[in-house]
Amino acid sequence: MKSPSSFDEGDFDFCGNNIRVSHLGVEMSLRSEIAKLRKEVRGELKKVSSLEELDTLWVRVLGRKGKLTSLTRELGRLSSTERPTVGKMVNELRQAFETSFAEKRRELERELRERKLEKETLDITLPGKLPQLGGKHLITQIIEEVIRIFIGLGYQVAEGPEVELDYYNFEALNTPPDHPARSLQDTFYIRRKGERPMAEDVLLRTHTSPVQVRVMEKTKPPIYIIAPGRAYRHDVPDPTHSPMFHQIEGLAVDRNITFGDLKGTLEVFAREMFGGERKVRLRPHFFPFTEPSAEVDVSCIICDGKGCRVCKYSGWLEILGAGMVDPNVLENVGYDTEEITGFAFGMGVERIAMLKYGVSDIRLFFENDVRFLKQF
Amino acid sequence: MRVSLNWLREYVDFDLSPEELAERLAMTGTAVESIEHLGCAFEKVVVGRIKGIKPHPNANNLVLCRVDVGERELQIVCGAKNMKRWDRVPVALVGAVLPGGFEIKKTTIRGEVSEGMMCSEMELGIGEDASGLLILDKDSGVGEDVGKVLGLEDTVLELEITPNRPDCLGMIGVAREVAAITGGKLRIPRVRFKEESRPASSLAKVKIADPDLGPRYVARMITDVSVGPSPLWMQRRLIVGGMRPINNIVDATNYVMLETGQPLHAFDYEKLREGKVIVRRARRGETLLTLDGVLRQLDESMLVIADAREPIALAGVMGGADSEVSSGTRMVLLESANFNPVSVTRTSRKLGLLSEASSRFEKGVDPNGVIYAADRATQLMARIAGGKVLRGAIDVYPKPVPPKTMGLRPRLVNHVLGTDLSLKRIAQILESLELKVSKPVARDSKLEVTIPTFRPDLEREIDLVEEVARIYGFDRIESTLPESGEKRGGLSPDQRIRQRIKDFLVGIGLREVITYSFIDARHFDKLALPEESPLRRVVQLQNPLSEEQSIMRTTLIAGLLHVLQHNINRGQRNLHVLEVGRVFHPVPSRPLPDEPTMVAGALTGAWHDDQWYGRAKSVDFYDVKGIIVALLRDLGIRDWFSTRAVHPIFHPGRCAEVFVNGEVVGIFGEIHPDVQAAYGLPERVAIFELEEAKLVSQSDLSRHFGEIPKYPGVILDVALVVDEKIPNEVLEKAIRTWGGKLLKEVRLFDLYHGKQIPEGKRGLAYSLVYWAEDRTLTDEEVKKIQDRIIAKLRQQLGAEIRA
Ligand SMILES: [Zn+2]
Repeated sequence: MKSPSSFDEGDFDFCGNNIRVSHLGVEMSLRSEIAKLRKEVRGELKKVSSLEELDTLWVRVLGRKGKLTSLTRELGRLSSTERPTVGKMVNELRQAFETSFAEKRRELERELRERKLEKETLDITLPGKLPQLGGKHLITQIIEEVIRIFIGLGYQVAEGPEVELDYYNFEALNTPPDHPARSLQDTFYIRRKGERPMAEDVLLRTHTSPVQVRVMEKTKPPIYIIAPGRAYRHDVPDPTHSPMFHQIEGLAVDRNITFGDLKGTLEVFAREMFGGERKVRLRPHFFPFTEPSAEVDVSCIICDGKGCRVCKYSGWLEILGAGMVDPNVLENVGYDTEEITGFAFGMGVERIAMLKYGVSDIRLFFENDVRFLKQF
Repeated sequence: MRVSLNWLREYVDFDLSPEELAERLAMTGTAVESIEHLGCAFEKVVVGRIKGIKPHPNANNLVLCRVDVGERELQIVCGAKNMKRWDRVPVALVGAVLPGGFEIKKTTIRGEVSEGMMCSEMELGIGEDASGLLILDKDSGVGEDVGKVLGLEDTVLELEITPNRPDCLGMIGVAREVAAITGGKLRIPRVRFKEESRPASSLAKVKIADPDLGPRYVARMITDVSVGPSPLWMQRRLIVGGMRPINNIVDATNYVMLETGQPLHAFDYEKLREGKVIVRRARRGETLLTLDGVLRQLDESMLVIADAREPIALAGVMGGADSEVSSGTRMVLLESANFNPVSVTRTSRKLGLLSEASSRFEKGVDPNGVIYAADRATQLMARIAGGKVLRGAIDVYPKPVPPKTMGLRPRLVNHVLGTDLSLKRIAQILESLELKVSKPVARDSKLEVTIPTFRPDLEREIDLVEEVARIYGFDRIESTLPESGEKRGGLSPDQRIRQRIKDFLVGIGLREVITYSFIDARHFDKLALPEESPLRRVVQLQNPLSEEQSIMRTTLIAGLLHVLQHNINRGQRNLHVLEVGRVFHPVPSRPLPDEPTMVAGALTGAWHDDQWYGRAKSVDFYDVKGIIVALLRDLGIRDWFSTRAVHPIFHPGRCAEVFVNGEVVGIFGEIHPDVQAAYGLPERVAIFELEEAKLVSQSDLSRHFGEIPKYPGVILDVALVVDEKIPNEVLEKAIRTWGGKLLKEVRLFDLYHGKQIPEGKRGLAYSLVYWAEDRTLTDEEVKKIQDRIIAKLRQQLGAEIRA
């Protein structure tokens, strides 16, 4: 471990047979003193176990009254021919000592630090100091995920009022006046103050579709939007029903939008949202404001389409309603239906959350038990 | 709609398993809710082969048959005439139980042993024919179970019929749909019966007083009926279809309703005064005892069937008890009519009375299907109740509805669907649905399509496009993406800021919750809001589910405190919740309320649970203040301040409002101990509520690079003892003012009361940071400023300086 410059290595250079013996006793005695000191110091250094002892030894050897210093003084007694040789030996010894002391010092310091660090050893199994963790509600997380996907497909985000006019919620969406969805059993209405004509019926929107109409009234095609938000239906809460829920509506209106575009868009969405191998199927259905209309299934995300309890052994999960925007709706906002076509789709956020995360009861979303919220 | 597949096969052939058929129906728009497999209605009935027939020695109208039933040969006494030697027939063995509970025993008939019974269709409850034995196919295996041989095991599909397809509320309509999607041929039963020479109109008179509500009324007269149980096969089908058999006359009407979708009603003719049937609105004060035994109060909005004197039925909803067909009925007036769907819906809702008939009329019934249904029911009544049919149907139909014709451009089909279907293919699909399509003149010309009145849902060209898409198959339409190059996706700048606000608050440790938009008005009392508080001016629901959810919230605080309470009741302690959502404020002159989005938080307990490295400190006013200051800083809002505020929800000494550019953006502080108690919260609660739009409009996310100081600064501390009434803000401002432009930062790092501080005073220690942009400050320079500050604090604020 010792470096080549250390004096031990040079031992042979100083005491070996090649060293010429002087005819003078002084020289002889000095040489032997040097050899003795070298040996002595080497032994002492080995015994040193602390920085204090090292300092003491330093003073004793290299200090002003130290042994090597005294030896140096002895050099004056030598003849001018002897002096350079012996002088060189002394100098070399000094250098060697300095190197060795420095090295010993480093070694001691390293040991000291190691001992100190060892004392600082912790019980690494004690709990960490956690920063306070917040988090978004699962519903928000899903809405943001859907928004992200559709932004990638070129969509913007639109919003509209939750307390809405009957016109936007039903009439402009081609829902006939006697449609059961408009009854007091299905829709929350706002209590009217004084006399107000029926045409101004005000309600809690039953879907986010009215946003479609509001956007189309104000904007010329092309329109590519999604509209997330709260919606309300007159349902008594139970594990699968809630009077308040969240919906995301999508709308694409442009020249030459086709049913094939709707299929393609929903396939991209389903794969992004539920994983690469999802299959999508559209089943004809009826909605007042789209035609043709479809219910959209994705292959079951639990069993991968093989059939399980969640998909009622059908291999499919219904996640969306969709269709081509009914020409009546486009005409209501003054679009030329010969040129312009569009598709729309809507999905229930809670339903997606329940399917994707296995949440068993829709009421959990609004109970806000932090032990539920922290799971996501 | 419950569909028996055995019954369905009478109208259409298809070569699909029930599961395959269900799948095809689902993929063409008829959802199948369930598939139910039914077993056979009898046991121990096997295929027998007649080996010999000889006359009964003691009875002219009976014969003795030797019948091979596989393992053995039986002697059976039989009255039928239609069988011959080597015929295969169903044999009910001793111990068999036939539908209706009839058990077969070994008997002796006129001195001859009979070891079983050979059966007709009727006796097995599988058909209408009772004229003789059911002769089975020649290849039926002797001794095999007849139920199996005849495929009596039935399967019932429960179909969910969407409101636009009332035609599928009858077996024939379903069969038509199945024929279209499978390519099978549709067979509609042919109706034939004998009529008496006497015309029906000689006995019954029909008048429609209100043709808007009752557009068509057909009556037929059947006399000499003998009312009794209907045949077993009919009962069986009614039961499978979800109806209860009553008697042969009523069952025939219900059977035809299930078959055609047309509701029918049979009156006991002799109960009708003057033989009159008048379709009119009820008069105020009139009543009717309906078939379910309830006396109904009628009003002028309701359409009734009346005789010469009073209502005898609620049109399209339910018949009356007085004119009900009973065992003594001899003459039947059969009604097959069309009623206005809105009128039927209104009446049935008003009376809370739903029936199979009303639910069909609500969805709309084909006005041109009434004659077929009347004739079909008449045929069945003649056959199963032995009735005589008077000549002709009385048909009052003031404004006949003709089938509509409309054009369909093949170009539109392909434009909307993104397909390339030929004109021929399109025509073929429409014809498979029984629509009549004219021969197109040229390749790109319009198709003229005639729509039968049983498809009232097909009103516009786009409806035909949908039919084509549906039958062609959605799955066969190729997936594409919109081609437009003009679209640009992304959040608007405001939406990005709103997202940033939520991200930031969640990032510093708040847990987002979502509470109901409708709340309990009693929250306002718990929040100690005075009567005149603007927060009590609310949007109210007309039809809330309950009092607890009857008004739209005007503040998020109620919901958040409820969340704290809910969690604390479930054993949680340290809670830090956030909600971003809308509140609703009515606007006097407008129908719609204002819906500002609020950003609100509530904290109680400590930020952390107690830990091994230290006990947690409970949150207070300064925690929410810190949140708000950090949020404003993140949003780049520099020009803000807060002032002490008084608000009933809050602790009188621990509440402040935040102003940005002179405008209030929100409020924060600790809630009043009374409010805390009202929500049952054990510890202090600190809350804030800010208006999102104001934060967004005042935010400034632009950032500009500022030079990093090149020269070292000097930090000097100063400790003051001042009157405790002097707010920190005043002291800080004073220090800044007197510090000049070299004083860059003032930070309070200690606040103390206690022994060394005289009563009514408090100690504050500030750290002052000085530096200059262009040089290293000298100690003398800084000392001079510091001394000046100290001198001013002494003189002007009476501060005592501590070393
Ligand atoms: Zn599954």
